[in-house]
Amino acid sequence: MSTLALPRRSEIIRAHQAHGGRIAAVLPIHYPRALLRAFDILPVEVWGPPRIDPSPGAAHLQPYVCSLVRNALAFLLAGELDVADVVIVPHTCDSLQGFASILVDFIQPKQPVLPIYLPRGNRPSDLEFLANEFRALYRALAAITHCTPADAELLASNAREEHADDLLAELHRRRNELAMTQLELYRLIRSREYLPAEMFIEIVGATLHGYSAQGDHPGSPRQNVPIILSGIVPEPMVIFDALAEMRAVVIADDLASCGRRLYPRGTSADPFVRMAERILNAPPDSTRGGAIPERLEHLARLVATTNAKGIVFYDVKFCEPELFYLPTLRQGLQARHIPSTVIEFDLNDAFSQQARTRVEAFIEMLG
Amino acid sequence: MTDIRALGIDVGSTTVKIVGVDAAGNLAWHLLEPAEPRVEDQVTRLLDIADREKSSDAKIPLVATGYGRGLVLQATRRVTEITCHARGVYRELRHGGTLVDIGGQDSKVIAIDPQGDVLDFAMNDKCAAGTGRFIENTARRMHVPLEQMGPVALATTAEVLISSTCTVFAESEVISLVAHGAAVEAILRGLHRSLIKRIVAMIRTVGLVSPLMLSGGVAQNPAIRKMLEEETGAPVILPQHPQLMGAYGAALMGL
Repeated sequence: MSTLALPRRSEIIRAHQAHGGRIAAVLPIHYPRALLRAFDILPVEVWGPPRIDPSPGAAHLQPYVCSLVRNALAFLLAGELDVADVVIVPHTCDSLQGFASILVDFIQPKQPVLPIYLPRGNRPSDLEFLANEFRALYRALAAITHCTPADAELLASNAREEHADDLLAELHRRRNELAMTQLELYRLIRSREYLPAEMFIEIVGATLHGYSAQGDHPGSPRQNVPIILSGIVPEPMVIFDALAEMRAVVIADDLASCGRRLYPRGTSADPFVRMAERILNAPPDSTRGGAIPERLEHLARLVATTNAKGIVFYDVKFCEPELFYLPTLRQGLQARHIPSTVIEFDLNDAFSQQARTRVEAFIEMLG
Repeated sequence: MTDIRALGIDVGSTTVKIVGVDAAGNLAWHLLEPAEPRVEDQVTRLLDIADREKSSDAKIPLVATGYGRGLVLQATRRVTEITCHARGVYRELRHGGTLVDIGGQDSKVIAIDPQGDVLDFAMNDKCAAGTGRFIENTARRMHVPLEQMGPVALATTAEVLISSTCTVFAESEVISLVAHGAAVEAILRGLHRSLIKRIVAMIRTVGLVSPLMLSGGVAQNPAIRKMLEEETGAPVILPQHPQLMGAYGAALMGL
């Protein structure tokens, strides 16, 4: 079993600041890491975080706004994002868009708040729009940092992120060979949320070469029921231990925080277009307007290539982009004889007995 | 003394059921008690009774189910109530179909294939609406004994519409209806209708495959069975001991 020790977020932030770098607090989901790093800004993602007092955030938001956004606002109001020099808010959903508006218009945090508008398609006009969004972000970051990285620096930064993402994709692909628990695997995958690409490359490279297992191990699909986990973010992460207890293994994922961010390499020589290409060509995602047939095809392909026996949709309560299309998506899966179940959770809840029973019954049904 | 070859225990939110089966899988012995807050102590006591009841000193398998299954430390295996209810009902009725299990804390609709395997299921586990708790709450508020709720509701053809699906809001609505002079029988009939409509919505998500079967403690309420038949147009079949089906299925899995 792996004893992989990952550096903590706070250590990484302190180390980056110690050599004069800046920190960006980045809200979910898609953004150009390479662009930020070209300005020596380290993106540190804010997925809630879970299990905090959400009440300060709740005071500013409607009750039907999801716990991810509510917690992020509470986290910011508690001063926990003071370490960041800039806050980046991608227009992932209406709730995050509202979050950005509240910050800019009412709360006015000490850091600049920079929204990114993401197109809901993958047409040539979407590519052009997103590349222009990144050019606008470049200008905003230049005004903040007084730096103007050249195209060559942007492309070099892009190349580093592409290398890191290649390894991330390999980690996803070779997950069954690794002698680590599902929880350890997903901690490693999610370290991409805060580790600099060069450190991620070093750690994942060593993991892929050093932890290959011979034969079966605790997470082997031969000993467990293979499933696909879909949704936004796997919190609370104890779900992985719970799944292991139920003798289930996540053989692939369609999580917005993980598998939907397996960005392919770009092709353009224009750094901004290349960054936009990578995001638009990533696996389909409800928050980028991925059409149901496209998502259905992607899920069916994942099931076929991994021999998964079913899909668990593990969604944040009130997540509009995910939940709105879920009934149609599940109907499509049912027509293809792919079983699925839905678990909704709040970032501040423990993994409830009801949720456990639902997943366990699903696993029993598949097994 | 009874020939018991395996035990199943269903630790539910309202009651704890323990069932013993013989070598042929027949329900040979059972006990049912209201659930106590100290689950481990209650389980130990019930297992002591079972131990005295069985004719042999040999150690036999114990399979635990229900929301408290994790607290049954003596269990040789733990299985969810969905699988256990399906197994128990299939064994007794000998066919597949659509099983509705209305428990004290949640309700489930389970599609069972002709071989007795679970094909699909839907659960209402987020709120008390559509569960036994919904009826219990109103019984207390209306001062009607729980076991009389169904007969009282069926004693009239008049029915008041209860529009709230939330148990708390439904209770407020009932109070308001009482204040406006609505008859208790008509209110209770409307309340049962409200619960059944939620169950029927769940049946639709799984898809109704006849026959429709009913298990769980709430199955003993005659209004539930009658209204379920009215709303679905399908006859509803009950096993002999609907409340024991989870524990029975668990015991069968121990054989």
